[in-house]
Amino acid sequence: MRLPSLPIAPALVRQPGATHGWRVAGATVASVAIALALSAGLIAWTGDSPIASARAIYDGSVASQDAWTTTLLYVAPLLLVAVGSCISSSAGVFNIGQEGQVMIGALTGAWVGLRLAISGPVLLVLVALAAAVGGAMWAGLCALMHRTRGVNVVVSTLLMTFIAAQVVSYAVNTSWFLQESRMNGGLVSSESNQLPSAARLGSFGHYPDLRINGGLIIALVAAAVVALLLARSRWGFRLRLRGLNPRVAQHAGVRVVALGAIALMISGAFAGLAGMVLLTTPVGTNRLQPNISGNIGWDGLLVALVARQRPVVAIPVALLFGALRSGGGFLAATGVPPYLVDVVKSLLVLAFVLPGVLVTMLDRRTRAASSTRSVTSRAVVTNEVVA
Amino acid sequence: MELVEPELAALQLRGVSKRFGSVVACDAVDLTVRAGEIHGLLGENGAGKSTLMKILLGLVHRDSGTILQGGEPVTIANPQQAAALGVGMVHQHFSLIDPLTVWENVILGDTGKVDRKAACAGVTRVAERYGLPIDPLARVDRLSAGERQRVELIKCLRRDPRTLILDEPTSVLTLAESGELFSVLRRVVQDEGRAVILISHKLAEITAATDQVTVLRKGKVVFHSETSQTGQQELARQMVGREVSLRAEGAALGLLPVERRVADPPPAAAAAEPVLALRDVVVELAGLRVLDRLSLEVAPGEIVGLYGVEGNGQVVLGDVLSGLMELSGGRIEIDGQVVDPARPGALTRAGLGIVPEDRHRSGVALDMSVAENLLMKSLSEFGGRALLSRRAMREAASRLAEEFNISAPSMDAPVRSLSGGNQQRLVLARELSSKPKVLVAAQPTRGLDVGAIEDMYLRLRRVAADGVGVLLISTELADVMALASRIAVISSGRINGVLPTQDATAERLGLLVGGVVAA
Repeated sequence: MRLPSLPIAPALVRQPGATHGWRVAGATVASVAIALALSAGLIAWTGDSPIASARAIYDGSVASQDAWTTTLLYVAPLLLVAVGSCISSSAGVFNIGQEGQVMIGALTGAWVGLRLAISGPVLLVLVALAAAVGGAMWAGLCALMHRTRGVNVVVSTLLMTFIAAQVVSYAVNTSWFLQESRMNGGLVSSESNQLPSAARLGSFGHYPDLRINGGLIIALVAAAVVALLLARSRWGFRLRLRGLNPRVAQHAGVRVVALGAIALMISGAFAGLAGMVLLTTPVGTNRLQPNISGNIGWDGLLVALVARQRPVVAIPVALLFGALRSGGGFLAATGVPPYLVDVVKSLLVLAFVLPGVLVTMLDRRTRAASSTRSVTSRAVVTNEVVA
Repeated sequence: MELVEPELAALQLRGVSKRFGSVVACDAVDLTVRAGEIHGLLGENGAGKSTLMKILLGLVHRDSGTILQGGEPVTIANPQQAAALGVGMVHQHFSLIDPLTVWENVILGDTGKVDRKAACAGVTRVAERYGLPIDPLARVDRLSAGERQRVELIKCLRRDPRTLILDEPTSVLTLAESGELFSVLRRVVQDEGRAVILISHKLAEITAATDQVTVLRKGKVVFHSETSQTGQQELARQMVGREVSLRAEGAALGLLPVERRVADPPPAAAAAEPVLALRDVVVELAGLRVLDRLSLEVAPGEIVGLYGVEGNGQVVLGDVLSGLMELSGGRIEIDGQVVDPARPGALTRAGLGIVPEDRHRSGVALDMSVAENLLMKSLSEFGGRALLSRRAMREAASRLAEEFNISAPSMDAPVRSLSGGNQQRLVLARELSSKPKVLVAAQPTRGLDVGAIEDMYLRLRRVAADGVGVLLISTELADVMALASRIAVISSGRINGVLPTQDATAERLGLLVGGVVAA
């Protein structure tokens, strides 16, 4: 029996050498320009001024210290999700269920934060741990399904997201679970009680000026540590080896199946931690709500995709996505339809992701075209002519 | 469907040649295939059988020579023309699409509207006429190898071919299935006057099932006869050729380079404990025994050649010894210790190094650096508790690269940028750097140029001279004759016989390769 292994990440998340880096850079500039032009056209077409819209995004994201504060609040969870994705896809396991793992992380974090009667910073640590474990377990279910029944990880992580949404919705609508307490016979809404202040991540800096939240520090430290581990540690080496050639990895003594499952679970843990950040920082209401993630999981995955599995590159990319989030919210407030903001964001993602893929595909095609002859004749000489 | 005129079905090749670069695949081949006959085509890997058939199928264009059908010269420029002339082929590796049903596979490539009912009826009709029972609605991935073979045959036969080519058709079949196949073929030629070309290296099949037999060696027709006028010994001798005995004599007389004698086991080696012992090793894949109670021993300082035609289990044996497969039965002992090959790193720890057959598949990570590829199996030696020391790795890699003559732009360059010979030496360097007791080299000269082959020979001899047991898995007779002191012949996943190289005559090797058990 061939030993089972987790499926290999699709080719688009893997970059070849740095040799064609300049061509990718050039193509990226061009495609971003096209995306911006298309966005401007769309905004003008729906009756708004592209220049005013750009101004609104700028004002809402980076123009003031206040705007920076909001942007950075978004950056933290985005970066955490992206860093986790870097780990799983380096190992050749393509986790796309971060959205669900974020939600489950927020759920388990909220449960610990609301149920444990502890005060002081220990509670915050426990909430973070619970969130990470929750996300890891949710991703671990997919690893388990793959191991026992051969279920494709890409499919299972994706579909588990929708189950996670149902679980959170059930939790905040069920009185014995996490729904907010009834006060004086009034109505209760579909959310949990507010977390005690001991279970919230503090910020430093001065309101209303620039305030840096603890979540950002966690995310930055995580990015740096993971970057170092991936590039320099023995464990990171095995992870990359597994991603690049699982057979060679197995030959070299790597526990291919176990390492794949671990990478997937760590990715889930980071997503869960992002859920904890959403729950405990002023970006939300410090309550578990059905829409607590608000697509942070999906966007974080896109950050990793744009950064091509490099945690350090993910930092500026996460900043860009955070700025688009805060600026987009501001833009929507000026009357531009909110779906248009999403369209602009999607165009920008495509503009950043496509060039790398396209250049790689073109390279492959030209290489294939130029080597077809030699490859066929060589193959014919070595195996086929031959039998 | 009327019977084909015997005269028209005859296919004749006259002086057909084809070369690929400097390699002559077919050298002025003459071949006459008559209707109503099964024509056996015998030859080792590289003899030119497949190229010849590809020319008939319009997949490869001949450089010179003519092809006649019914006495008229024909051109076969593409597979469509071949089909129009009535040439059909069942390939050794099935070209079926697993998730589709039988009838869908059968009508693939047809034009016009898809009519399931008619297609199923067609499949059943052909199946009944030839005694190939099959359910047209079954999915191909649920079928056994024998049933898949039937689907391939039905695919071919329903197009009413005048000439049917079968390439190693029994390599995946059980004995009973092979018997059924040959009775179907008999019916095809006798009752319907078609011609069949049967490519095989199994002598028993050729002598039992064919009417005419042609032996190809190095692109040339070296022998042709009516099957009834010849025997297995004769065919074996013709297939392997005279060079074997010449080389063996040369070795015995000490005419070959001195290094090869270094590889001979010292007299005491015969008594020494084997450093690698495969005992009744069984691997089953999809219900088929790919390795069938294979047993083999390698003594320290000895080079044992495992020789055989491709597709007889060598790839799977390589995977087992690379730690990529579990055994279904039997055991592997290295230096007297039983080792479970599927445990990560167990083979390496026990002292086995391997240069795999397909280095891109299981030898190197192309996008990792030279240093990383060289040292991936000895990471614990570099740096502290958690982090690797890049400098130490680069230095160690440079030393290995120098020792093994690996020319690379830098130790940080991706292995992808290295030539084939350098990649091969890199794998050898890595495997030898852990001081193994056994080295397995699978097809170590494949794809290398002459200079690189010489270098590889020299290195393998030196390895053996240092007391390492070497198992050389090769389909190249030249490799095993030049290096090995004993030759074990693999056929259908088992060792068919072991000969000292001096005793390896063409006839004996040919019989063993051809699946005839050692006399």
